[in-house]
Amino acid sequence: MHKIIIVDDEQAIREALGRKLTRDGFEVTVCENGLEGLRAFHAQHPDLVVLDIVMPEGMNGLDVCRRIREIDDTPVMMLSAQAISEDDIIEGLNAGADEYLIKPVRLNEFTARVRALLRRAQVNNNDTVQRYDDGYLAVDLQRRHVYVNGRRVHLTPTEYKLLAVLMDNSGRVVQQTELLEQVWGREYLNDIYYPRVYISQLRRKIEKDAANPQYILTEHRIGYRFEKQPGV
Amino acid sequence: MLDTIAILVNGLTLALAFGLLLIVLWYDVLKPLHQFFGVFLLLVLVWNAGALLTQAALVVTLDEPLVRIAVTAMELGFSGASVALFALTTILVGAQTRRFRLLVFLTLFVVLIYRALVSLGSTEVAADGSVQLLNYQAQPLLLAFYLIFDGMTLYLIWRGRRKIRTQEIVTGISVFVIGQGLSFLNPDLQSFALSTIVCSLAALSTSFAILRAEILTPLSERMSQVEAIHRVSLAITSQIALDTVLEQIAVQAAKWLRAEAVGIWLIRDGKLELTTVYNLPEQFVHRQLTVGQGIISEVVRSRQAMRLEDYKRDWGGLPDLPVARDTFGSVIAAPLTYGQEAIGALMVIAARDGRLFDRDDVHLLELLGAQAAVAISNSTLFADQQALAQQILKDVNQLKELDRMKNEMVRMTSHDLKNPLQAAMANLDLLREDLPTTINADAAKSIDVIERQLLRMNRIIRGILDLERARTGSLKFEAVEPARLVMETEEELRHFVDEGRVRFEIDVTENLPLIACDSEQLKRALINLVENAFKFTPAGGVVRLRACAGDGRTVRFVIEDTGVGIPAEAQPFVFDRFYRANQSGTEHVSGSGLGLSLVNTVIEKHHGKLWFTSEAGQGTAFYVEVPQA
Repeated sequence: MHKIIIVDDEQAIREALGRKLTRDGFEVTVCENGLEGLRAFHAQHPDLVVLDIVMPEGMNGLDVCRRIREIDDTPVMMLSAQAISEDDIIEGLNAGADEYLIKPVRLNEFTARVRALLRRAQVNNNDTVQRYDDGYLAVDLQRRHVYVNGRRVHLTPTEYKLLAVLMDNSGRVVQQTELLEQVWGREYLNDIYYPRVYISQLRRKIEKDAANPQYILTEHRIGYRFEKQPGV
Repeated sequence: MLDTIAILVNGLTLALAFGLLLIVLWYDVLKPLHQFFGVFLLLVLVWNAGALLTQAALVVTLDEPLVRIAVTAMELGFSGASVALFALTTILVGAQTRRFRLLVFLTLFVVLIYRALVSLGSTEVAADGSVQLLNYQAQPLLLAFYLIFDGMTLYLIWRGRRKIRTQEIVTGISVFVIGQGLSFLNPDLQSFALSTIVCSLAALSTSFAILRAEILTPLSERMSQVEAIHRVSLAITSQIALDTVLEQIAVQAAKWLRAEAVGIWLIRDGKLELTTVYNLPEQFVHRQLTVGQGIISEVVRSRQAMRLEDYKRDWGGLPDLPVARDTFGSVIAAPLTYGQEAIGALMVIAARDGRLFDRDDVHLLELLGAQAAVAISNSTLFADQQALAQQILKDVNQLKELDRMKNEMVRMTSHDLKNPLQAAMANLDLLREDLPTTINADAAKSIDVIERQLLRMNRIIRGILDLERARTGSLKFEAVEPARLVMETEEELRHFVDEGRVRFEIDVTENLPLIACDSEQLKRALINLVENAFKFTPAGGVVRLRACAGDGRTVRFVIEDTGVGIPAEAQPFVFDRFYRANQSGTEHVSGSGLGLSLVNTVIEKHHGKLWFTSEAGQGTAFYVEVPQA
């Protein structure tokens, strides 16, 4: 049974979301502020965290997300009433969130996304490439370990999944819609800015120079391509 | 001995009077004062020429007719001079009346004729050729004549002494009159020669004094007046503060008109207020006049300058200032007019024992007044403009602040509305799951209505946020192929197209130039328009999206439908926020009323054009023109 923590200052919302997830077979803890959410996170090691962004007291959702990212790659889903521009959404994703939903969201969609996110976070043993090492970048997809220049790098579940899908198709262009479907799921086909944001995050973590990427190349208006580098 | 002196004096007077006459004739013969002065000099000339000849006849032998003429000339000149002097005095003190000149010349004419007759009949020539002269009997008529004219001259001099600019003139004229009186003393005492000498000298000194006071001094004064005007002009054009300009004008007016004090009143808030003083008590500054109070009110009302010789005597109304009656002597008040409007008045004041202002002074003050009016108006206009600019700046800042607050409000509101909406929707979804599938139809319908209304609310909030984003967000311009934009729009609207309720046609002219746009925003605008077209077109209709060359360097997108059309009375408002036309057949159409407003905003930010043609029942065509890249 997956453990999920919901943090939202609106009682009516966290209770309704909690009831729905409980009903759908999840183990749910609801918290009313960021600090309480973090405590619950440390105590329970959940499989997924749902965070409201704007909360009146103390830490907001972005702060909580960053604190979680400092220690773990647990999937985080942002739930915001505030976002009005793509930049706001990108800011949330950059804080380390795997998902960004704008209120109001219907319960069915909400649970669908929760499931998709959990699915993404699971180790996929079907990937054909299990291991990659060119001396600079080393990836052990089986154990979800990534080393850059010998140093371990933490990737979020979504980032792992993205890297895995690209490496699986290395040398070939993966279209945006294909990426969305394979990494996020069919429900996400309209979230066209997701790949762009995550690719740039991923590049920042594994490329020598994120502005002039060597591994993950952009095929303008089509998609992205992973290019293996000759080993050192 | 006395005769010799008399000859010398006569000769000297003759020469000088001639010189002075030339100067007067050369300078300006049009002024009455100069004319009478000239006549006086001429008669002095005649009289002295005659006297010289007559005295000469005592020494050398002359022909009898010559002596007779000389004596006559002397007597005529002597009598005439007293009339001319009277006339001159009258002019000097400004006591002349209408037709004064005619009267004087007539009097002079009569007197001269009379004197000529008397003189010709009374002169006797001795056998030895010497002339038995100066045998003035105290002829009663002649005595009366001198008494009248000299007496009147003396009276005028005494009464008008303040009006005469220099004491020398007063003294000279007085001495002349006394000299003439001497001639009535006993002829045996040779008083006529003495009288002639005294009169000649008096005439000379008077003439010089007049020349100085009336011609030379005004000339130099004019120089200083030019200087004063220059200073006032400088003060005006240097754009210094109004207070300083007014002070400068007050000082110059005082200096210029040799006035003791100056006051400037301006109309402030419809009332005359003393704004600037020179030599008046400071406590009166900012004092306001009641309606009709003082000559200032009168001058502003009539827009005519006023001159009073004696404030207490000549002004019967309320005084301009409390101290006016007791301290003001002669005053002039001139209106400050700008265009057709009096904006205030300027008053120069002489003390009660001070000088009297004359008509020239009025002209000068009017001149200053005109300058002052320009200065005041300029400064007022400038101040108004400054104030206006400040006000506009303030308004703009206020608007900016309001706009910022509004944006903040929109953000807050969206958040505050979305949370309750989320809670309501989530609970509605739970309710649906909890309810048995077999609830009664009314309850099911109610739940549907709640859901639809919640969705509608959500749409409105999203519409507001979209519009706000379009309004405040910056555009990311790039060169975009029109065809791509059309394709992507179609892609986004696939769900409508797939419904198959309405046919969707696309027509893109080949080889269209690239357009400069934020593709996401422009696409959102096109989607909005096409979506609208779908919504308002009944089943079986057609929606067409075309792209073609527009007017000038633009590309035109046309969104046509065969829908219900926009009623004529609704057409002016379709781009207004939250406007939705009440139209039968469109009740089923959901929308926030913000779509077209958003489209309009986006097209405006693209420097494009947006318009439409529509006919009720026939359909609508929206046109969008966007500049080429």
